[in-house]
Amino acid sequence: MNISVMQENLARGLATVSRAVSSRATLPVLANVLLKTENSGLNLTATNLEIGINCWVPGKVAEEGEITVPAKLLTDLVASLPNQKIDLVLSPKDRTLKLTCGNNRSSIKGIEADEFPVVAAIGETPATSVDARVLREALGEVVFAAASDESRPILTGVLTRLTGDKMTLAAADNYRIAVRTLTLASPVDPEIVIVVPGRSYAELMRILPDAEMPIEITVTPNKSQVLFHVEGIDLVSRLIEGQFPNYEPVIPASHSSRAVIDREAFLAGTRRASIFARDSANIVKIEIGGDDADGAGVAITAHAADVGDNADTVDAAIEGSPTAIAFNARYLIDVLSNLGSEEAALELSGPLAPGVIRGIGKDDYVHVIMPVRTAS
Amino acid sequence: MRTILHADLDAFYASVEQLDDPSLRGRPVIVGGHRDERGVVSASSYEARVFGVVSAMPLRTAARRCPDGVFLPGRPERYRQLSRQVMAIFASYTPLVEPISLDEAFLDVSDSRAAFGDGPTIAREIKRRVLDEVGLVVSVGVATNKLCAKIASDLRKPDALVIVPPGEEASFLAPLPIRRLWGVGPQAQRALGEYGVTTIGQLAALESSTLRRRFGIHGDELSARARGADPSPVVSSHAPKSIGHEHTFDVDSADPGRLEATLLDLAESVATRLRRHDLAARAVQLKLRYEGFETLTRQAPLPHPTRDSRPLYDTAIGLLRKTQVAGRGVRLIGLTAIGLTEAQQLTLFDAPDREDRLSRSIDTVRERFGEDAITRARLLAQRPHRRFDFGERPDAAPGNDEDGA
Repeated sequence: MNISVMQENLARGLATVSRAVSSRATLPVLANVLLKTENSGLNLTATNLEIGINCWVPGKVAEEGEITVPAKLLTDLVASLPNQKIDLVLSPKDRTLKLTCGNNRSSIKGIEADEFPVVAAIGETPATSVDARVLREALGEVVFAAASDESRPILTGVLTRLTGDKMTLAAADNYRIAVRTLTLASPVDPEIVIVVPGRSYAELMRILPDAEMPIEITVTPNKSQVLFHVEGIDLVSRLIEGQFPNYEPVIPASHSSRAVIDREAFLAGTRRASIFARDSANIVKIEIGGDDADGAGVAITAHAADVGDNADTVDAAIEGSPTAIAFNARYLIDVLSNLGSEEAALELSGPLAPGVIRGIGKDDYVHVIMPVRTAS
Repeated sequence: MRTILHADLDAFYASVEQLDDPSLRGRPVIVGGHRDERGVVSASSYEARVFGVVSAMPLRTAARRCPDGVFLPGRPERYRQLSRQVMAIFASYTPLVEPISLDEAFLDVSDSRAAFGDGPTIAREIKRRVLDEVGLVVSVGVATNKLCAKIASDLRKPDALVIVPPGEEASFLAPLPIRRLWGVGPQAQRALGEYGVTTIGQLAALESSTLRRRFGIHGDELSARARGADPSPVVSSHAPKSIGHEHTFDVDSADPGRLEATLLDLAESVATRLRRHDLAARAVQLKLRYEGFETLTRQAPLPHPTRDSRPLYDTAIGLLRKTQVAGRGVRLIGLTAIGLTEAQQLTLFDAPDREDRLSRSIDTVRERFGEDAITRARLLAQRPHRRFDFGERPDAAPGNDEDGA
């Protein structure tokens, strides 16, 4: 292997793939990044067996070849080099990669490329594609709601349904659920239903460009892996097996009161209340049009027996009967800080019924939070 | 000026046994378990105290000190029943009754004086009625605050009536040893000893700046208490701060299966009491006692406030696996629900309340037919020492109850 690449390009490629490197690898080779000359450039690959990321970097190939080297060492070295041409030459007999850049010369001992697990060999034609910027926004509104503890593995994933020209993303952790639909570039038939680990989507969000360009989605026929491809980058993720809970029945079809509130003001009030709620199980009380809200608007209050009280009133357009509900402040803060609309609608049907949050002018998103039962 | 009473039943559990069985009267009665069991003494009658038998002493030590003692396992249900009768008498004088445990309570009778007479009059009334109507002896302290009332009731037990007149709080406390004060444990006693302070009067004479330097913000509290000041109110609906149960093994156990099954049993008892109080726990504390009374406590938060045994058990097991060294024999294991709250997070997919309703049904069955009437299959296999007849059953020692502590 003998290839020349620009430091800037190699550094960006390594930063992209390095998040897939295992931090506690059981196989030594998983702590490495695979370098392989391909299509007049260098292909970088890292995997932790749950996800794999592939990134192609342009270069000038003098001799084809492949090797794996410790990812952290290479990433740190390249990041420290000047933005000049880097020559990478492999000496196959002692498996050592020699780097030359300006006045710097380094050599890194590697492991044979054929010990590296095969990543992204899906080889199917993509099922469909979707706009990268739209997918990024949609993932931002959904992924945070996935469970982080492993007590129910299926809930650590995001249900992903491709049917017709619609993609539906749903994540839930048993106390809340977020559902977002978006439009695909081309229809899918028959429908595809998979559960993608929340962590994989979080990585995808990180590497997706904030630009209008198509991202291709491919699912293996045995539904064990999904591949996202966008301009020089592939992300492959394993899928979670099992049945995602049927969430549709738990999304309330109606409500008895509704408030339309400025999202930033609602968020700021909830954050203030949560400072007081730290000592009382993080519970904040939301009242639509009650006494605390002077019959109009929404009151956000927190009460901690040994600490004190806090109340915020926020202007709101309200409908229906006055009602109060208690939520874990974290769940409200999560949805309000990720919701991509200026105004939010809060729909309630009583203190023990699920609360619904929607974005105004956004028919494609719904968020449900289960309340906290309190004594008063 | 407030009028506060502290009423404390004398040798409560032991007195109930002597009340129900006249043959025990005048004899040393020790409640907590049999003389060769490994538990501790929950209560001892005054006849037993002559031999130096006190609460929390290992039963075997008590048996050595008092070979002729009558050792009884205790009947928590009966104690609760009589406690309710006594508390009802207290409540007939004021709505402001704060029960501290089954056998003691604070009463704020400030607004009852017009109807029932002054503090000492009400205290005498209460003593007479508890003896006439229930058959038990209660000691009462009368003062202007909880601190002095509590110390007064304890001063000349049994059958005491000690009155601290308004304005005489400081002189009443002055000759008493500092350990009588709330918040003065062995460590504070040692620290105060460095200043030559052994009585409450000496403590009151100490510069408050000295105390603040040595004890921080607690120094001011300490100073105020030493002068007999205590502003804390009598709170009638006193929610428990923690709910816990513990189990002492007959023989030290290092068997993980045995330890885990015992924790499951404890988690069920704790969850039952959480439901009875309509409370949920935010965290779990595990207690392990080894040979030589070395005791470890570890705690961890729960994912959400809960009153269900499953998450209590899961979290406690996590702590046990982190703490317990394989092969090390455990003498006592305890599980306590802490951070109690009235709030409960509802769930999306576990049909709301299903688990809670199931648990409550189990509670009802147990209340009517006894603890062993319905249990987890796993616990049957793990408890060969338990008897499954429907007669008497060995109950948990009542002293393990941390309710309201």
